[in-house]
Amino acid sequence: MRVRADSKFQGGPACGLAMAVWLSLGLTAWAQPVPGTKGGTGTLGLRAGEKLKPERIEEIYRRVLADWSAGETERAPDELIELESAVVSDADAGTRKVLLKSEQAVIHQVGAADLEVLVPIAVLHHEAYRRLLQRGFQGHALAMIHTRTMARDLAILYNEQSGSEGAGLVSSRLLTSLGGLLQQSAQQLPAAEMFQQAVELDGKNIAALLGLATIYEKNAQTETAVKFLRRAIEAEPGNPEARLRLALNLKRLDQKTEARKLLQELTVATEASWVTPLAFQELAQLHVEGGEGGGLEDAEKVLQQALKRFPNDLRLHIQLAAVLDRRGHPGEATVLVENALSLPAGQEASARFLYNSVRPDAFAAARTFLDENSRSRLPVLAQALGAPPPQAAGTGVGR
Amino acid sequence: MRARSLLPALAAGLLFAAAAVVAQGQVAVRILSPEADQPVFGNTEVRIGVQTGLPIDRVEVFLNGKLVGTTKTAPYRVQVDVGEDNIPREFRAVAYTPTGVTGSDKVLTQAVMINDEMNLKLRALFVSVVRNGARALDLGKDDFQVLDNGAPQEIVTFGRDELPLTAVLLLDTSESMQGKQEAVRRGAKAFLDGMKPSDEAMLALFSDRLLHFTPFTSEKSALEPALASTPAAGGTAVNDFLYMSLKLLDARQGQRVVVLFSDGSDVHSVLPAADVLWKSRAGQALIYWIQLGGKHLSFTSSWRDFKANDREYDDLERAIRESGGRILAIDRLDELEGAFRNILRELREQYAVGYYPNNAKGDGKWHKLDVRVKGGARARTREGYADYK
Repeated sequence: MRVRADSKFQGGPACGLAMAVWLSLGLTAWAQPVPGTKGGTGTLGLRAGEKLKPERIEEIYRRVLADWSAGETERAPDELIELESAVVSDADAGTRKVLLKSEQAVIHQVGAADLEVLVPIAVLHHEAYRRLLQRGFQGHALAMIHTRTMARDLAILYNEQSGSEGAGLVSSRLLTSLGGLLQQSAQQLPAAEMFQQAVELDGKNIAALLGLATIYEKNAQTETAVKFLRRAIEAEPGNPEARLRLALNLKRLDQKTEARKLLQELTVATEASWVTPLAFQELAQLHVEGGEGGGLEDAEKVLQQALKRFPNDLRLHIQLAAVLDRRGHPGEATVLVENALSLPAGQEASARFLYNSVRPDAFAAARTFLDENSRSRLPVLAQALGAPPPQAAGTGVGR
Repeated sequence: MRARSLLPALAAGLLFAAAAVVAQGQVAVRILSPEADQPVFGNTEVRIGVQTGLPIDRVEVFLNGKLVGTTKTAPYRVQVDVGEDNIPREFRAVAYTPTGVTGSDKVLTQAVMINDEMNLKLRALFVSVVRNGARALDLGKDDFQVLDNGAPQEIVTFGRDELPLTAVLLLDTSESMQGKQEAVRRGAKAFLDGMKPSDEAMLALFSDRLLHFTPFTSEKSALEPALASTPAAGGTAVNDFLYMSLKLLDARQGQRVVVLFSDGSDVHSVLPAADVLWKSRAGQALIYWIQLGGKHLSFTSSWRDFKANDREYDDLERAIRESGGRILAIDRLDELEGAFRNILRELREQYAVGYYPNNAKGDGKWHKLDVRVKGGARARTREGYADYK
């Protein structure tokens, strides 16, 4: 889907520098090599701690944007990292102001021509942030926060300036993807803030709603998790993950009747997903724990059914063995476990692990959407920069 | 009371000694398990010893004249579900060479003489005794007193370092173990190197999934490659795989133990630790946990909140303590090898004390155990058991 806003850029980025920066990763950054470069220098030839004049920063930033607009998806984000890591020092918050001013000046110039350039620029900063996270950022915490904040503020600005529904969708996806990156690096609070903003821009953003719900779930704020899961189901009634999470959170709130109903529905769904064996497991546990209509016999039936659908699921075998033991059939249980060992050893992550993790595919849709929308605006950015038009390539929103 | 006269030799399953010289070109076969005159029910492992200078093509196992299994590789074992009927059974094993030379052995097992007032299940207790800060290794049967729910028991079997050991080495190979595998390999190898020929072990390398496992074997060379070749990945599901290990030990003989090594607590199990506790109470295996990193830290996950996770830890700790095993907390990886060795030594130095509970009812109720030793020595064994049929 390509979304384009019609309004024009009217002012500088409202990049209120949320300087709530934690520099716990050490203040010796000035001497740190630039991430992802050999010996501290990259294609731009910059060194960490290099004193650059604002005009020089602007010139380099323009060059990076030009490379991005030309479809240099591998090089441009690394160049941006090199520039920002060279200018910004964790030991001196003032260095970030210098960088911000220079980048703002360039964005003013190119954005005045067409508001749409904000989208690929935001996506470029998003990609730089993703790479920094992936590579580790020791000694460059402030540069990393800067580039993430730039991505977020540009997304919000684009939505505010445009005011169109389409702009809201693009901005919401960018914030969602940033939230996902934060969640993957266990930064729960800033991730929740990103998801919250994403949901405010698009109330049906299922990835952001699920992201928020999982953060609340993980932090034992079950009622709030339930609230967002209900909203997620409203947005996408058939979403199995939302239904499973709702069931489990309701179970925690002792609302077992609704939990059981949701789990039963998931177990009979014809299309199986990673969620389905979990629904069987949890439904059986609900019976074991003596929920309504519970009991070991019911648990056994559920697990026997589950094994018919998922005969290679070792965990279901173990769970059924435990139920059989409790029912006074230890011999049968032993045979079941012994037979289960003839199943191939699993190298894939278990469904229970996926449930407790940020799945790589959870934000794939948001990133594809961003990629498409950024790519379609690269010619506009190239034109605004007076650069050659892009090659036919994606913008490289990493997964 | 027939069952008392048919006390199972605690050293059941000892290797086929084959002291007799096997004549050239002959095949000597002996059924090692089940033993003659023992009652057998349900899933039963038939273990066969074969001695010959000839190659063996296969070993067939017959139950009451019916072929029930064939095995082609040593050690020769066949799993047979003999059913739950309380009847005598005839097991016969026949070994064949490729040229048609055969040897065979036969074992008759007996029915249990039912006595409503007595559960004939032998309780085997493994008791560590410490006197003046050192393990006491010179004690005799008469030095021990066993109280089952306060009732004195007659000790019918007694020994030390005589029973074959059957161990599951359950090794955490989750992502947090990356870079620590060499130390784990050395630790596990130290345990395996200390095993006797009659001992058996299996390796189970787990995370949130079962990454690799071996069958029970006394061949150390079959176990070690698994340690070297399994990459660390995923989360941690201690409860599920500990339960699995205890179940696998249900079907084994001798001194049974799970040695768990993990640097973290359970996150991803479907079974709560309460199930492990239940299983530990119902079984006879010991559980040891070598815990890297020391004390449990509260944590939360999508599966459980802080309180629930703390409860899980408490239940697991209790299961280990009640089993008669213990937690060995280590701070550094270089302590791992010593920890594995300590466990093996402790197992070797335990007294095996067997008795038939005179107050068993098979009602699933908890029986508190108290083992006392003369002369002021301190005894540690399982804290009790659930009296299931």
